[in-house]
Amino acid sequence: MNGAFDWLQSRTGVRSAKHVLLDEPLPAGTGWFFTLGSVLLALLGIQLLTGAFLTLYYAPTPDHAYDSVRFIVSTKPGRIVRGLHYYGSSFLIVALALHMLRVIAFGSYKAPREATWLSGLVLLALILSFSLTGYLLPWDQRAYWATVVTINIAKLTPLAGELVAGLLRGGASIGALTLTRWYAVHVIFLPAALVGLVVLHLVLMRRHGISGPVRPHDGTPMPFYPWQAARDTAVVSVVVVGLAALAWSGAPPLDGPADPTDATYIPRPEWYFLGLFQLLKYFPGQLEVVGAMVVPGLAAAFLALLPWIDRGPERDPRRRPAVILVVMLGVVAVSSLTILGWRDRPRAAVASDAWTLREIGGRVLANAGGCAKCHAPDSTADPLEGMALARGPEWIRGHIEDPEMIAPGVREPPVERGEREVAALVAYVYRLARQPYPGFPARTETAAAVFAHRCIGCHVVDGDGGTEGPDLSHVGSKHDAGFLRRLIADPEAVNPNAEMPSFERRLSSDQLDAIAAYLASRK
Amino acid sequence: MNRRRALTVFVNSAVALIGGGLTAVLGAFALRTPRGENAVRWIRAGTVADLTPHVPVPRVLAISRPDGWYRQRARETIFLVWDGDKTVHALSATCTHLGCRVRWDAESTTFRCPCHGGVYGLDGAVIEGPPPRPLDRVDVRIDPAGTDVMVRL
Repeated sequence: MNGAFDWLQSRTGVRSAKHVLLDEPLPAGTGWFFTLGSVLLALLGIQLLTGAFLTLYYAPTPDHAYDSVRFIVSTKPGRIVRGLHYYGSSFLIVALALHMLRVIAFGSYKAPREATWLSGLVLLALILSFSLTGYLLPWDQRAYWATVVTINIAKLTPLAGELVAGLLRGGASIGALTLTRWYAVHVIFLPAALVGLVVLHLVLMRRHGISGPVRPHDGTPMPFYPWQAARDTAVVSVVVVGLAALAWSGAPPLDGPADPTDATYIPRPEWYFLGLFQLLKYFPGQLEVVGAMVVPGLAAAFLALLPWIDRGPERDPRRRPAVILVVMLGVVAVSSLTILGWRDRPRAAVASDAWTLREIGGRVLANAGGCAKCHAPDSTADPLEGMALARGPEWIRGHIEDPEMIAPGVREPPVERGEREVAALVAYVYRLARQPYPGFPARTETAAAVFAHRCIGCHVVDGDGGTEGPDLSHVGSKHDAGFLRRLIADPEAVNPNAEMPSFERRLSSDQLDAIAAYLASRK
Repeated sequence: MNRRRALTVFVNSAVALIGGGLTAVLGAFALRTPRGENAVRWIRAGTVADLTPHVPVPRVLAISRPDGWYRQRARETIFLVWDGDKTVHALSATCTHLGCRVRWDAESTTFRCPCHGGVYGLDGAVIEGPPPRPLDRVDVRIDPAGTDVMVRL
C-alpha cells in the first residue's frame, strides 16, 4: 500500500499537494467567522455540479426550453437537482453577503490583501450575473418578463444604452437569440471566469495567509486540517442540510410558458434584486438612471476603493467607527429597500387551483369537438394532457380555428367555432398543461360549457368574464334555481326592462336546468 | 482517540456523506428511467378487407413515442400475411442482417433484402444469404369485431 503511494507521490507529487492544500498554518484564534469562505466554496461546487447535470436535459430554444424544464421536474431526482440549483443561488447570495461583511468588519482587505479583496468583488459581480442569466432559462412568464425589465434597465446606460441592450438581447427582440446568448454566458463564459477567479482568490489568500483575528492571539499557529477544517465542515454541513431540506420538494413551480403577447403579466425579480427594484421607484422619469446606475455604481466604487479609503494598519472594528458606520448604513439601506420591495412586490395574479368555468367549459367543448380524434396517445398528434406548450395562445387559437394550418390535408374541415368557444379551448389547454383535469359533476360541466359559450360575454364569475351584466359569482344567495331558470329562458317575462336576450330557444332544457342549478349553488 | 483524530474522522466522514449524497442524487438524475418511452401498445394496421390471402401487404405505421419532452413519430414498416381465414402474421420489414428494408418479390414469393442478398420465405424463415435469424415477428390480432387488424408495437 505504502509502495503504491510512494510511487504515486514520486510521479505526481500527490502527497506534497495534500500538504500544500491542507496543512496551511493558521494563526491562533482563527475561529468560526473564518468558515464563510469554505461555505461559499461548497455552495459554488454544488451550483457547478447541479448546473452541469441540468444541461443533460435542458434545451436552450424558445420552442423547447420550457418543456425541457418541465421534463426535468417530472421526476423526483429532477425536482431535487433543480431545487438544489434554484435555492443554492439564494444561499450563495446570503453566504456572499456574510463573507463580505466579515471581511469588512475584520478589516481583512487592508494591505497587503487589496488584490484579494478586488478579486472577491469581481466574483460578486460574476455571481450576480449568474443569477441574472439563469433566471431567463426556464423561459416561463416570470423569466421572460424579468428579462424584459433587465434589458430595459440596461437601456438607461448613458450614451451606449441601445448598444448594451442590443448586446444583451442578441436579436431585434427578446427571443431565441437572447436565450442562446444568456445560456452560453450562464454555462460557458461565466463558469470559466468564475473558476479562474476563485483559483486566483484562493491563491492570493494563501500568498498572504489569512488575516486572522483582529488582534494577535497567544498560541502557536495550527494547521488548517483538521482543526479549522472541522469548523468549516460543521458550518458547511448545516448549510448543506438546510439547502437539501429546501430542495427536497423541488424549486417553486414554473409559471405559464413565456408569452410576449400577455400584457397583464407583472414581472417580479428574484428576492435579492428587490432592493434595486425598489430603489428605481424613488427615481421616476429622467432620474431613473440615478437609481439604476448611479447609486449602485457609487456603492460598487466605494467597495472597490475601500482598502484605500480605510488605510492604516488598525483592523479592530471598534477603532474604525467611520467605515463601520458607513457600511452599517449601507446594510440597513439595502435591507430596508429589500424589505420594502418585498412588501411592495407586485403580486403575481396567483393562478388559483380552482378551475374556472371557462376552463371547464373548454374541456367539454374539446371532448365534444373531436380534438381527441388526433390528440390521442396512438394518433397523429400529442394528447392534450401534458402537451408541449411552447406555442403561444395566438398559435393555439389559430390552430383551433383551422387545424389544417399545421398539417395540410390530414384533417377534416375544421368545425366552425365562435370566438368564445376558441377562448374557452385555449384556456382549457393552458390549464391542462399545468394541472390534470380534476373531474367535475356532469351538471357542472354542462353549466360551464353553457356559461363559457353564452354568458361569459356579459357576466363575470370568479373574476372571469364581461362586465356588461351583473357579476354572478354569488347570485345563488339572492335567487333560487327556479327563478334563475325562468329568467334565463325569458328575461322579459320576469323583468320587462331586461336587456338580456332570451335563451329559451338557444339552450336545451337540460342546459337550462344545469346552468340555473349551478348558478343557484353559487352562494 | 485524541482530539485531532476525532476531528479528522468528523471532517472526512462529513465530506464523504455530502459527496455521497450529491453523487446519489446526480446519479439518479443522470440515469433517469424514461417513463413510458418503451411502452408497446396495440395499434391499428389496417382492415381485413385490405388483405389478400398468402400475399404480404406492406404497412407503414407511424408510432408515436415520447422522447424526452418531444414526441417522436417513428415510422415502422411491417408486412401483414393473411392465411385467408382467421390468422394473420405480421413480420417486421427490417432485415435481421444489417437492418436494411426487405421487399416482397411476387415472382419468387420471397422477401429479398437489397443490401446483401438475404432471402426469406413467406413465413419469414431465412432461405439464403447472411441473415442470422428469421424476420422478427410482430404480435398481431384481429379485433373481436373481425374487421381491424391490430399489431403490437
